[in-house]
Amino acid sequence: MKKLLITLLVSTFSFSAMADGHAEWWKKAGAPYAGTVLQGVAENTPPGQFAGEVLAKEFEALTGIKVQLENTSWDSMYDKAIKDMEANSGIYDFVYIEQDIVYDYLNRDFLVNITEGLANNPDLQAPGVSLDDFTTFIDYFKDGSGDVFGVPMEAFIKVYLYRKDLFEAADAKAAFRAQYGYGLSPATSFDQYRDNAEFFTHYCADNGMECWGTTVQGHTGHPASTYEFLESIGPSFGLYNWGVNMDSYQSCVENGGQLNGGRAKAALNFWTQLLPFAPPEALQSTWSEVGASFAAGRAAQGWVYGENAAWIATDSEKSAVVGNVGVMLPPTAPGVMTQAASGNGYIGYFDGGAYGIPHSSKNIEATMLWLQFIAQNEVQADWAIAGGRITHKATYADPKVMAVDEQADGYFTLMRDTGFLYAGAPPFPFHGAGRAAIDPFIYKALAGEMTPEEALDGACQALDKVMSDLGYQG
Amino acid sequence: MFSNNRTGWLLLSPTILILFLVGLVPFFYVLYVGFFKWNPLAVDPSMQFEGFGYNYRQLIFDEVFLSSIWRSIRFAVVTLFFELSLGFLLALSLLSSFPLKSFFRGVHTLPLVIAPIVVGSIFKLFSVQGLGPLPHFLKDFFGYTLNYGLNADQAFWMIVIMDIWHWTPFVTLTLLAGLSALPQDPYESAKIDGANNFQIFIYITIPMMVPVLIVVIFIRLMDSLKIVDEVWMLTGGGPGYATRFTGIHIWKEVFEKRFYGFGSAMSILYLYITIVICWLLYSVMVSRGKSED
Repeated sequence: MKKLLITLLVSTFSFSAMADGHAEWWKKAGAPYAGTVLQGVAENTPPGQFAGEVLAKEFEALTGIKVQLENTSWDSMYDKAIKDMEANSGIYDFVYIEQDIVYDYLNRDFLVNITEGLANNPDLQAPGVSLDDFTTFIDYFKDGSGDVFGVPMEAFIKVYLYRKDLFEAADAKAAFRAQYGYGLSPATSFDQYRDNAEFFTHYCADNGMECWGTTVQGHTGHPASTYEFLESIGPSFGLYNWGVNMDSYQSCVENGGQLNGGRAKAALNFWTQLLPFAPPEALQSTWSEVGASFAAGRAAQGWVYGENAAWIATDSEKSAVVGNVGVMLPPTAPGVMTQAASGNGYIGYFDGGAYGIPHSSKNIEATMLWLQFIAQNEVQADWAIAGGRITHKATYADPKVMAVDEQADGYFTLMRDTGFLYAGAPPFPFHGAGRAAIDPFIYKALAGEMTPEEALDGACQALDKVMSDLGYQG
Repeated sequence: MFSNNRTGWLLLSPTILILFLVGLVPFFYVLYVGFFKWNPLAVDPSMQFEGFGYNYRQLIFDEVFLSSIWRSIRFAVVTLFFELSLGFLLALSLLSSFPLKSFFRGVHTLPLVIAPIVVGSIFKLFSVQGLGPLPHFLKDFFGYTLNYGLNADQAFWMIVIMDIWHWTPFVTLTLLAGLSALPQDPYESAKIDGANNFQIFIYITIPMMVPVLIVVIFIRLMDSLKIVDEVWMLTGGGPGYATRFTGIHIWKEVFEKRFYGFGSAMSILYLYITIVICWLLYSVMVSRGKSED
């Protein structure tokens, strides 16, 4: 609460400074829509909370337009947004578009063309706001002609987090060297990752600590586990685009795909073999629980979504490991880094989302103002600090952000310098259907009901059937 | 005739209109969609008519759907058995006097007022591995490892226990109301004739309670067959397919995979199966009741 108040004060101060420049324009532009209430729905993330609790109030104070942002669970957010857009009911004026669903939304013509909308309404174009200020993450929300359909509000990379205090403990170093014959350090290879995980599981138990060797986002009834495999573990082994052949839309090896290929099977074997070294809650953990487990000090290392990295490293009210968090790129198989650097692959997931306007919105013009308000350079630094996200190029150089970056072991710098090694989800319009076909097989592999090999053989067949049923295989 | 009934029809009309709009219209729409191949994520996102039996023929060979039906029926039978047994026992107990009876009755009824999704949350917080108190308690005192994210049987039985906890009070209260309304003459006659308590229960109480039991069984059976919320919150249908009951399976087909036509056909077929089960049960109970008369 204290932190939120401080954030509010800081924000109010900085926004007031911003408002001095263009306050009159915002007042004038907002006047025709004063009293309008904009309804939005988004996933409940720290950046979403900042938008709803801080930015929305500032926007209302300037324009008289009220923004009610419903931050809810990931499942619920999709459920509400898609039903609203399908039924054309106009309940929501703006919706959260996660990077991986944007192709589905564009394919179904759910969203308003923001570039075109602003070009057709010069009076709505806010001074000092330029879509060119965004990082390349905005490209995911453009159509083939370069028009923008969503204003990015969060972007992260999924990084490797480790506990510095554990890795630097003298007795741990000595015991590790004695057991494995080489020095203890954060993992740069999968063998080392596994050794670290095994070692710290025993080390924690021997020292009476409630901690384990690694996180595993392994919920056996939630898509989070499939995403962890397809977007993080798989790519770091060289499994790209879910193993789908992008020309033929086939995923089984015998048909030219890779989902049940050697790299995929090696990745799933590696991942499932980490379970004995993960906290007991691993099989009921989504991305949120993984973040919470790491913050509670229950894991020595792990793949953690960037939206959680900053607060785990800096927020002592929520995290027990502040000051002890190390941030690195995750380990990769030989050759993967080279492929990623040359644009022929990627090492993990560039996560994030944007706010877009459904065609069914009854307040499109007022919502255009809101989206431009959150696109201003002036609001970005405080938003980055509160939510660990960066969507503007200039934000990296902000002194406040640089100070937090130092506390977070260079997370923002890592994102700036290595973001190009990551990629968002592949451009599948059938994203949800395809993933849902794979889910049960990943769940069964995690629960030990299938071997990784059996699971991936089944998964590729199920995915191929979906792509065939939907007409993508010609 | 019509003018005599006009006021009645007028009073009924809002109800009929609402039932028509929220009951019949959606039902016929789902029935209609069920005849089409339709997925908005497809290359051709339009509704395509492939013959009346297209989706239904596929369903007959859909192992996941068929197994979800058997899982749902097994779940409904198991929960019904325990809820009826426990509910009857508690209702009989509440007929007699004992200290703090009102307090117990109040506490016992509390689960009924909790929304299913909240019940799922409560059980999740209570039983999640590593953090919930139940796994710790079972491990520390009985050496038993509870991890329903890993163990399919544990996941199924956790949901059974959750449902029993949630709905037994409903059975208790309904049966209690029925028991309280039973005439006392047959009991007095039976006692004069020398019947013991067990005989009275079997030959007097149960036969007289059949109408109430039929109502309770139907309500609980239909509720159990369409369970979604609690399971969604606790296990999400996992591990694997272990708790993917038909309601959850339909949700996933319709809202995750967007197979609207196929999912609609599933809904219709499942409704038909539910009606058949209830009709069979009703026939058996009524015929048995008649033979006992």
